[in-house]
Amino acid sequence: MPLGAYLTLAALVFAIGLFGVLTRRNAVGILLGIELMLNAVNINLVAFARFSGDLGGILFTLFTIAITVAEVAVGLAIVIVIFRVRRTVEADHLDLLRG
Amino acid sequence: MSMRAGSATVALVVLALPFASFLLLALVRPLRRSAVAAATVSITAMVAAVVAAFWLSWRATPLALLQSPSRTWSWIPADGGPMATVGVMVDGKSMAMCMLVTFVSLMVQLYSWAYLHDEPRRSLGRYYAYHSLFAFSMLGLVLAPTFLQMFVFWELVGLCSYLLIGYWYDRPAAARAAVKAFWITKLGDLGFVAGIVMLWAAAGTFDFWELFRLAHTNALPVAGMPLIMFLIYLGAVGKSAQFPLHVWLPDAMEGPTPVSALIHAATMVTAGVFLVNRAFPLFLLVPDVLTLIAWVGAFTALLAATMACVENDIKRVLAYSTVSQLGYMMAAAGAQAPDAGFAHLLTHGVFKALLFLGAGIVIHVFHTNDVFRMGGLRGQPWLWVPFVLATLALAGVPPLPGFFTKEAILGGVFEAHLMIPFVMLAVTAFLTAFYMFRVVFLAFFARGLGDSHAHHHVPPLMSGVCWTLAALSVATGVNLARQMLAGGHHEGAPAWLPAFSLGLAGAGIVLAWAMYQRGAIDPARVAAVLAPLDWAARRRYGIDAVFAALYRGALLGFSRAVGWVDRYVVDGLLNVFSAWTLRAGDRLRRLQTGLPQDYLYGVALGALLLFVLAQWRMK
Amino acid sequence: MTAEIVAFVGVAVVLLGSSLAVVLTPNLFHSILYLAVALVATGVVFLLLDAPFLFGVQLLLYAGGVVTIVVFAIMLTERLVGRTIRQASRHLINGALLSVAVFAGVAGFLVQAPLAGARPGISGDLTVAVGRALVGAFAVPLELLGVLLVIALLGALYFARSES
Repeated sequence: MPLGAYLTLAALVFAIGLFGVLTRRNAVGILLGIELMLNAVNINLVAFARFSGDLGGILFTLFTIAITVAEVAVGLAIVIVIFRVRRTVEADHLDLLRG
Repeated sequence: MSMRAGSATVALVVLALPFASFLLLALVRPLRRSAVAAATVSITAMVAAVVAAFWLSWRATPLALLQSPSRTWSWIPADGGPMATVGVMVDGKSMAMCMLVTFVSLMVQLYSWAYLHDEPRRSLGRYYAYHSLFAFSMLGLVLAPTFLQMFVFWELVGLCSYLLIGYWYDRPAAARAAVKAFWITKLGDLGFVAGIVMLWAAAGTFDFWELFRLAHTNALPVAGMPLIMFLIYLGAVGKSAQFPLHVWLPDAMEGPTPVSALIHAATMVTAGVFLVNRAFPLFLLVPDVLTLIAWVGAFTALLAATMACVENDIKRVLAYSTVSQLGYMMAAAGAQAPDAGFAHLLTHGVFKALLFLGAGIVIHVFHTNDVFRMGGLRGQPWLWVPFVLATLALAGVPPLPGFFTKEAILGGVFEAHLMIPFVMLAVTAFLTAFYMFRVVFLAFFARGLGDSHAHHHVPPLMSGVCWTLAALSVATGVNLARQMLAGGHHEGAPAWLPAFSLGLAGAGIVLAWAMYQRGAIDPARVAAVLAPLDWAARRRYGIDAVFAALYRGALLGFSRAVGWVDRYVVDGLLNVFSAWTLRAGDRLRRLQTGLPQDYLYGVALGALLLFVLAQWRMK
Repeated sequence: MTAEIVAFVGVAVVLLGSSLAVVLTPNLFHSILYLAVALVATGVVFLLLDAPFLFGVQLLLYAGGVVTIVVFAIMLTERLVGRTIRQASRHLINGALLSVAVFAGVAGFLVQAPLAGARPGISGDLTVAVGRALVGAFAVPLELLGVLLVIALLGALYFARSES
């Protein structure tokens, strides 16, 4: 399969993930969308790494995966704390930054 | 008259004394708050100034032919010599004026101590401070060697006039009168400063001596001179209350009577006449302007005399009389007889001041300015003798000085073949005698009002000053009489002139006696005969109304328009901008919903925008 | 139709389907499960791209770790509320439009870009090279990654502590 196919696939998954982030009401749901987006990026990286013979893409993917895991952990911890304080995880209700 | 010059140092001393007094009173508050101390400082300075002024004149030395009587120091530097200088010009005219100003100031300040005795202490201190400032300003004006310095002191004198007219500043009429005086003279001053600047542009110097030299050697460009000299004359029109800027002088009577005696009789109002006299070599270059000056002067004299005939307020009568006499002096200058006008200035200064101070005595006695409420003072000659002497001087009866100087003016005008002004001045002489004696008969000798039995008490200081001035007047008159008998007439004046002017004066006195003392002619019937004139004169010929309408209509209307523009256009513009900013801010604030998903929309849109931009670039 | 193409198409279908399911399912728990499927499918894509090591890492960390964490989080927040959170979505049309637009933008670039057609050959297993690079040229990022993980751990601990 040509490189373009993999990249298109990744772009599609990215768009779907973006849709999820924009439309989900639950905070955890938003995090899931973010996961999808990150996955798409990983596919991109590996595809480029494979088709150009450069190992850097794969290493970058490794790091990305590790960082994503850390981010999910901390993010969910925050969600739980928010839930403790405000008794809700609905994104519509978390508008303390409102101007 | 300018063949003698005095010492510049002594002139500076004369200037410095009242200035020092003013500084002391202005800066040292306790001194000013105590009226006694303030008066002492001021009067002492004035006495010293009188002595210095007399010394100046006594010790004057003859002047070499082309030597300048000025002593100047550089003030505003410029390439190739200073642009403006300050200093003193001590020639005959300025020495005479110094003596007049210092002496009359001293008399008035002494008189004021008794007249204003009931004033609060602090106000009196302020009064004497103003007097010192005025003396300094007036002396600076007469000693000025350049137009620029004269203008500076001119404005200072105007300021002092404002301060002193509005001395009782909590009286609305006084405040209004002070402002009116300021405005009207300012109109004239506009012309004055324009003229000075244009003259400087044409000649390159402000200095009088330099200008006279240039004029004498025909080195002055004559092209714009008529306009320039006319503009300079405008300053005199304002300050010396010539028609049509005479309206401020009667209203200026709101000030205390001693102030009227000093400023609006002897010194400040004569500044305009002094200006014309001082700049006479320049005026000689433009004979048309001189003719105009003569006509305006004569007309002013007649106009003011008619208005004085119908006035009941004694001070107003004297004010109109001053306007009238100033017209005489200007007419003399216009008729190219400036020395006659100057002589009249000096003599008039003394007896007019005396008239005002004498009027102050009757005002003090009767607590009113209305002549119809006065009278019955026949039995106290020490009260009315000085006043009557001054009135005779003003009417032009020998051997009092007014006769000689007035006759000299009439002679000068006649010689210059200005017939209509001559006639006007002659009629004015008749009217002057008439209305002044009307006042004398009504204020002093009228019967039936608390008659000669009542003994009115007048502070000796007041009557003492009046007697001093009366004695001076008589002495001057006798001196002039002796000069005339010894040196004879000056050539050219018609021989019938002295008799003619005496006859005019006599006729006026007789008429006034007949109407007001004897009751032989009923004043009401005379008024009925001259009804239109009477009506117009009582309304001051509507000139006041014109100025008021101009002020209210034009000036205030303009101010209102400007105010409207400022509020609605300038401010409005700013307000509109600020309102838009606030509203835009309000609307933009709603972007901040606080929901991260909405922010992500923004990020995504931004990314899209970048895509589009990059696509474009790639194309 | 080579095996590669078939495999790719199959994986792509699974991946896309599960992704759509992740974002469209109302039930959050089902979302998680679909996400797990999507993550595994991604791993298979890595496999197809000759990166078996990454396939293993993906399964371990993503499909194993992340899914577990998220499941725990859902259970913690859901249980306390007491009912399954219904996932009515917000501004569906806007979101869809924006996503489509973003995809169109990226696709626009892809269409114009000169992309390689065939893969270059590979010599041996990439894993060894990856390992060598990690402790060689990329040693410092690796260590920093360790630090980051420690920090994340501390952060999560801090947040999760009880209120006393």
